[in-house]
Amino acid sequence: MDIRVPSLRSNSSVLIASMRMRLMTISRYPGQLVLDIIIPIVFAAMPILLGRATSGANAGVIFAQNTGTSNYVAYMLIGSSVFTIVSFAFWHIAYWLRWEQETGTLEALYLSPTARIWVVAGTALYSCLRSLFSALAAYLLGSFILGVKPFEGEVGLAFLFILSGLVPLYGLTLLFGAVVLKVKEANALINLMQWGVSFLMGIFFPIAVFPPLLRTLALLFPPTWMTNGVRAALLGVGYFFQEWYLDLAVLWAFLLVAPLFGYWVFANVETSVRRNEGVGQF
Amino acid sequence: MDRSPDGQMSRPALSVQQSSISNLKSGWSTFWAMVRKELILIARYPVNFVASFGQVFLIVAIFSLGGKTFSVNLNNAGNGSQAGIGNPSGVVIYGFMLFMFLSDTLWTIGYNVRHEQVQGTLEQLYLSPASKFASLISRVANTLLWTGLLTLAASGLMVVMIGHLPFENPGLGLYLLVMSLAGTFGVGFAFAALTLRIRETAQTMANLLQFALLILCANFFPFSALPPFLRNFSRLIPLAYNVDAFRSTLMGYPPGFPELAPIQLEIVIVTLFGILMPILGYYLYRLAEDHARRSGSLSSF
Repeated sequence: MDIRVPSLRSNSSVLIASMRMRLMTISRYPGQLVLDIIIPIVFAAMPILLGRATSGANAGVIFAQNTGTSNYVAYMLIGSSVFTIVSFAFWHIAYWLRWEQETGTLEALYLSPTARIWVVAGTALYSCLRSLFSALAAYLLGSFILGVKPFEGEVGLAFLFILSGLVPLYGLTLLFGAVVLKVKEANALINLMQWGVSFLMGIFFPIAVFPPLLRTLALLFPPTWMTNGVRAALLGVGYFFQEWYLDLAVLWAFLLVAPLFGYWVFANVETSVRRNEGVGQF
Repeated sequence: MDRSPDGQMSRPALSVQQSSISNLKSGWSTFWAMVRKELILIARYPVNFVASFGQVFLIVAIFSLGGKTFSVNLNNAGNGSQAGIGNPSGVVIYGFMLFMFLSDTLWTIGYNVRHEQVQGTLEQLYLSPASKFASLISRVANTLLWTGLLTLAASGLMVVMIGHLPFENPGLGLYLLVMSLAGTFGVGFAFAALTLRIRETAQTMANLLQFALLILCANFFPFSALPPFLRNFSRLIPLAYNVDAFRSTLMGYPPGFPELAPIQLEIVIVTLFGILMPILGYYLYRLAEDHARRSGSLSSF
């Protein structure tokens, strides 16, 4: 039998359709979009208000001794905005898988003559667009509300760190998607994972406070390099390897390794699940 | 009580008494069955069980370390600060305890009704002759047990990370906690009512409400850190008085605490909130439930 390999055009069409479908769905819930922007500001406000209350007028000075910048508002807002990007990546990819499983459409998706990777890529693209929009809007609005200048320092470099960090981040979510496919209890796992990664990437503090083992573990996560890169570019807190291009090089190494490793693990788990209980069971 | 000439209870009075005992028994039986069902569900998802503990520990660690970046030496646990409120452990930990209960109440009592609606089990529950009140209350019992355990564990971790925890006036503190929980459960009932009306928007609403209250009730920082116009909003929310009175009492009323009103007034507000809110919340829930049954929207979502 003649089996035709789908053309790049048809694959791109799957990618666009998958992304459009999700964008259309979320456009029906404008309240959720507003909330996406408010949540990071509220998160950042917690340590900011606590810091102001505990340190009074010296808050900036003490904060600078611990982190390298006195602009604690921007520091916290950057952390919570990157947290938005990280948590969206985990929720949108891993939970999407679980959602399709629960609604019974995952098995149907496997029966369709389309490679899953393009559907996942469409979902990831939608997730990137939504999270970048929310994170940027939250950072700008938070800076405006809390009275700091949002863009000081190397703005272009900060964006480069974010964009370079997105690919390995979504590679990690594939790894996590494999865990969800196997273990099935997605909600709790995603919640745990998003907070775990946020903790390791130093959402509100420098990872220098960690003991050596934990610090090494933190440095194995691309979001840690992403967050520090943005902070160093905008606030001058210093790069891990002193120079921006060295830190960026590490992120590029992750960019090559993480997606391939994530896909490899996902494909193996997927095959094992399909051979045993099947993807429709939850 | 109606009695016959020989001192025995009359038949109608006996029947009323037997009927109320039987109602009480069946109510208790429903309550216990629902509690057991929820506990079995928890036991069936061990990863969920462990992960929720881990998640709370991580949240606590993140916010504690975030707060500690404003301490003179980041690597020393429990060190004081300069010009502000000093060691913030009392403010943060006691506020966190109430936040945990509020957050879980919104989701466990309020949003769970929605979950049953989506699963299609809510209508079945209403078709059964079981007590609906017991079903609602059973959700409270699980929240008390589960969230209580989580709160204790997380508070212990916070003490380790932030420092010494002041513990004064435990009797009054316990009273304020009980009243605060009663009021919080009332909010949960009212939110369950809202969930039945607004359906899918409930999830967004629960999120929004949770974060708005997190700021306005100042669970993780003193009210003095809020801008004055926001503090005026806080004064309109009874839950804010719960947080203020509870932590000020357990901290032994340090200078500047309580922050919103004198403690006597705050105790009155907390007491009234604890007594009236569950009644109001349940009344609103019954109204929403009645509306849903009449309009046939119990199973639509």
